[in-house]
Amino acid sequence: MKTPAPDFQTTDDALSPVRTELLRAAHADAEATLARAEREAAQLVHQARAEARAVVGEARRQGEADGADAARDLLVQARRHARSHTLAARRETYEELRREAAKRVGGVRGTDRYAAVRERLERRARLLLGPGAEVSEHTDGGVVARAPGRRVDLSLTALADRALDRMGAEVRSLWEP
Amino acid sequence: MSPSDEIEYTKVRELRGPLVVVEGVAGIGWDEYVRITLASGERRHGVVLDADRDLAVVQVLEGTAGMDPEGVWAAFSGSPLRVPVGTDWLGRVCNGRGGPLDGGPPVFGSDTAEVGGAPINPVRREPPSEPVLTGVGAVDALTTLVRGQKLPVFSVAGLPHLELAAQIAAQATAAGEPFSVVFAGMGLTHADASFVRDALEERSAAGELVLLLNTADDPVIERILTPRIALTVAEHLAFTEARHVLVVMTDMTTYAEALREVSAARGEIPARRAYPGYLYSDLASLYERCGRIRGRPGSVTVLPVLTMPAGDITHPVPDLTGYITEGQIVLSAETHARGVYPPLDALSSLSRLMRKGAGPGRTRDDHLDVAAQLLAALARARQVRDLADLVGQAALSPTDRRYLDYEDAFLRDFADQRSDEPRDLDTSLERGWRALLTLPRSQLSMLPAHLLDAHGAKDTPDKEVSS
Repeated sequence: MKTPAPDFQTTDDALSPVRTELLRAAHADAEATLARAEREAAQLVHQARAEARAVVGEARRQGEADGADAARDLLVQARRHARSHTLAARRETYEELRREAAKRVGGVRGTDRYAAVRERLERRARLLLGPGAEVSEHTDGGVVARAPGRRVDLSLTALADRALDRMGAEVRSLWEP
Repeated sequence: MSPSDEIEYTKVRELRGPLVVVEGVAGIGWDEYVRITLASGERRHGVVLDADRDLAVVQVLEGTAGMDPEGVWAAFSGSPLRVPVGTDWLGRVCNGRGGPLDGGPPVFGSDTAEVGGAPINPVRREPPSEPVLTGVGAVDALTTLVRGQKLPVFSVAGLPHLELAAQIAAQATAAGEPFSVVFAGMGLTHADASFVRDALEERSAAGELVLLLNTADDPVIERILTPRIALTVAEHLAFTEARHVLVVMTDMTTYAEALREVSAARGEIPARRAYPGYLYSDLASLYERCGRIRGRPGSVTVLPVLTMPAGDITHPVPDLTGYITEGQIVLSAETHARGVYPPLDALSSLSRLMRKGAGPGRTRDDHLDVAAQLLAALARARQVRDLADLVGQAALSPTDRRYLDYEDAFLRDFADQRSDEPRDLDTSLERGWRALLTLPRSQLSMLPAHLLDAHGAKDTPDKEVSS
């Protein structure tokens, strides 16, 4: 029995749906891959943009925080500077008051009242150290009395200092209204 | 001026370290304050450590360097140290004995007060009832500080207790009422002193702070005076000037060591770990000066900070402090190692007066419930962690695993805070809620249903914790 020769036309026709289907499937695959690639690309771009936005946002926040820190540091320094100037000025005023007070009290020495003041101071010294105390004139005016192991300084400068120490809050009137 | 103050004693038997032994004295008492004049005119100060017959042992605050025994004139004041008191102290930076460090004149006051002070009469004490908000979330939410309370911070060397003390001093408020802080630094290194000055600069400039800095190289007797001066100034600001005053004292262990040194110099019989036998009553004489007084405005709240040598909570200083104070804030090396600031050991910390100063009408209605639930859940989380160490995390039940998430959220979202960040109580409690909502609703049994509804508690919360 002889095999009939293949009918190419018929085979071609018969394979045509397969070919079409393969082609369609290939196109569909390609399109799906393309779509997926586009989707992934879009997603990546989106993600990258979001990350970029986050980085920029974070950098801005960090920058603002650094700026705020730096501004606060500057403010703190400026306040400290201003405060130390105010306090230094007050101290200078206070020391000037002490100097002036010592000068004025020392000025008593050149007046007629000094003899009476000195006598009172001497009496006070003997009261504190006993009648045997050795009393001498202080170079700044007033007296210094000595007894064995004890001493009383009733010089005019020491008296002025002690009077100022007792003034307490009144001194504040130098810089407060 | 008393007559005795005018007499200067000139016979010095010996100079020994910081001590001057003065001979020929009469009528001198312990702790008397002494003004010492040198032949050069230089003025120094001292305190009588011991007096026996005609001898007085004086510890010189500025030290005895350069002193010639032939040229020392000591005038005894007849009483312990008195300091001027008043609002002049506000905004000033002084050393441990109240001398100015800020370049200003001495501090003046309309009145003076003895630094020894006296504890408040128990009958006249007003029970504490309002909070002092520190701006530190974990402290405010879990161990609320109450006006008039004494609440110590227990820490160990290496933990950021000084940062926490400075942060609280910089941020604390009393609901808009006049508020001041007295910060007494004792035995601070120069770096620490400088850190404290910087951290508190803003408050100091605002005239709300008194800063007393006794550095590590200052004489020990000055360290004993520092907290007393701080409390004396605070008492006047509170009870006369009608302010709520927070006194931060750090580091009380250094103070106790100074006390030990002075006690040894006085030849007293040492007690536990060579601290004097009266350490308890001495600490109490400081801590008990806080409070509120019936019929007087203002309050004094005390926050002592102490380091426990080798982390030993049974060491005499934390041990005796714990007897006197009303709770404690404990810092933990483990929490610190996890990078959390402030490294609070929430389960060991407690404010005994919290219920009097927090909750409905005082802070927020849900405050006490949330705090109790946060701690209860943390205690369970701690047990779960121990269990996980034994059996592995995979063997834990889903609920138990939630507790591990909760602990993480508690530390990262609730407890952790920047050291320059003031956090208000609302924010802290909301963060507490966020941590709690990592747990299933069924586990939040200490919270009322309406609060759980309002915060949207679910039986199966989302795994992720928002931060």
